[in-house]
Amino acid sequence: MKLAVVDYLILAVYFGFVLGIGWHLRKKISTSEDFLTSGHSVPVWITSLAFLAANLGAQELVGMSGSGAKYGIMTAHFYWVGAVPAMIFVGLFMMPFYWGSRARSVPEYLKMRFDEKTRALNALAFAGMTIFSSGISMYALGLLLRLILGWSFTTSVLCSAAIVLAYTFLGGLTSAIYNEVLQFFLIVMGFSPLAIMAVMKAGGWGGMASRLQTMTLPGGINGDVMTHSWKYMAHTNQNPMGIEVFGLVAGLGFVMSFGYWCTDFLVIQRAMAANSMSASRRTPVIAALPKMMMPFIVIVPGIAALALSKMAVGYVMPMKNGGPDYDQVLTTLMAQFYPAGMLGVGLTGLMASFMSGMAGNVTAFNTVFTYDLYQTHIRPGQPDKHYLTVGRITTVVGVALSIGTAYLAQQFNSINDMLQLVFSFVNAPLFGTFLLGMFWKRTSGHGAFFGLLSGTAAAALTHGLTTAEGKGGWIASVHEFPSSMAQNFWIAILAWTTCFLVTILVSLVTKPRPESELRGLVYGLTELKHDEGVSWYKRPVPLAIAIAALALFLNFWFA
Amino acid sequence: MLDLRVPTGYFFAIVGLILLAVGVFAPEQRAALSDASVNLYCGGVMLAFGAFMLTLSRISKQ
Repeated sequence: MKLAVVDYLILAVYFGFVLGIGWHLRKKISTSEDFLTSGHSVPVWITSLAFLAANLGAQELVGMSGSGAKYGIMTAHFYWVGAVPAMIFVGLFMMPFYWGSRARSVPEYLKMRFDEKTRALNALAFAGMTIFSSGISMYALGLLLRLILGWSFTTSVLCSAAIVLAYTFLGGLTSAIYNEVLQFFLIVMGFSPLAIMAVMKAGGWGGMASRLQTMTLPGGINGDVMTHSWKYMAHTNQNPMGIEVFGLVAGLGFVMSFGYWCTDFLVIQRAMAANSMSASRRTPVIAALPKMMMPFIVIVPGIAALALSKMAVGYVMPMKNGGPDYDQVLTTLMAQFYPAGMLGVGLTGLMASFMSGMAGNVTAFNTVFTYDLYQTHIRPGQPDKHYLTVGRITTVVGVALSIGTAYLAQQFNSINDMLQLVFSFVNAPLFGTFLLGMFWKRTSGHGAFFGLLSGTAAAALTHGLTTAEGKGGWIASVHEFPSSMAQNFWIAILAWTTCFLVTILVSLVTKPRPESELRGLVYGLTELKHDEGVSWYKRPVPLAIAIAALALFLNFWFA
Repeated sequence: MLDLRVPTGYFFAIVGLILLAVGVFAPEQRAALSDASVNLYCGGVMLAFGAFMLTLSRISKQ
């Protein structure tokens, strides 16, 4: 792919605006809370789009269009089943405690609700995880730019890191959030024309569907599966993902998706920054609306690419080592459909998605490190100015560590897989802890802590005892899954169940906290304000019902 | 607090104008698989979006 002057001009304009926003917001920062939590001051439409964009990182655009070409519209389960229900749940039922407790971070909520050791466990795991994901984001960006533009890995990594550092250092969380919104619009504007053109070229949705029906996918599966999300879910051997309804709904739809959207501070931080309780509850609910539309921008082009590759129009599936190279589906489509000019917008959108993912991780990391590790364990009781400085330094350190991780990932590919696995073990049981913590006042700190540990152990054990696509089974192989996706879903299910049961058992034999300490933290001991007298779209519940109905409709329409 | 609609509006207006200019002055710029004047259409949409954002911000200020 070759870029023209106009493409570079658009890239430069974008970087100018990103830095400009950071520069403009620098004057608003006078306390550590301004810098790290935005001081509960951001309007709801901005927090909503940032809630979505912080998650719309590197792997999403590239990975989802690749999955579209590989699995078809089934990939949309990651949105319509694996995100929207959890986003509605966290808004309606969990934000009252997160926002209402005035905790500055998710680990801090755990400290208020449970105890110090539960907070420390979560804070450490989370801090490690954010650095790692931000490094991976950078690594993926460096690889991609080297591959499609021939830029050097080091230049790409250092330049993107420098820009992210500049605007997060200047304007803190507010700056990251504002830029995420700009990035979101750019991604939508930059990629929806591609989806429209690719689908039109492939003969519209109907034309694509009839073309794909004549295809046979690997494993002897009929190509009809590509345009149906539910039709082939009864058994694992009917669809290319190798999953069935229960594994999907319980594993992805419940444990993994609720575990991520309801407990991950990276996204919750955006909702916590909202300027009122009602706004913080509406943040994930409103974000669910664009979230459920994302498949049309990120997945559908991949399906169209597969259809196009079977037509004599000149589109060839990118190949690597004799098999399709799904990671290149998006960029090859861009090269074929975008002329100089729009190509610059698309590429800027791609870089924006990498940067929003990175900035999201860095701003979550500096908050958790400053408040939950430094202020709690290293140097408590300092004046606020001190923590503002620490927050700023942590931002620099966080970016530096991410760069280090990016190079580490480049050197040792297996380290990636291993770390990603370890983090999935840590994440899987988390939702069990929060569910019990928020809705059962009897849950004790010891219960939460040992529940989490045993859930993680159960996840590791499941992985050690099962195999899928040659992965896992490092203890023994007692069961083989048809795909590693199915294995991941079942690891999550077992980890969550273990954590849930162990937390209940340990809580029953240990002393709960007195009810007076749990006001505002647990359901039943918290007064929920009802927003009477405002229009329906300003109230979380009617809004959630409307959005859930729409998600249900999409599931049926593409079933 | 900075009204985000202002920088968003200006950004898309500028990018829209750049694309429109390319579409008008270099109409021969075509991608391999598309005969449509992609730059012209997308530039128009972005300019309109930018103007919409700026208008919203104007209205709320009054």
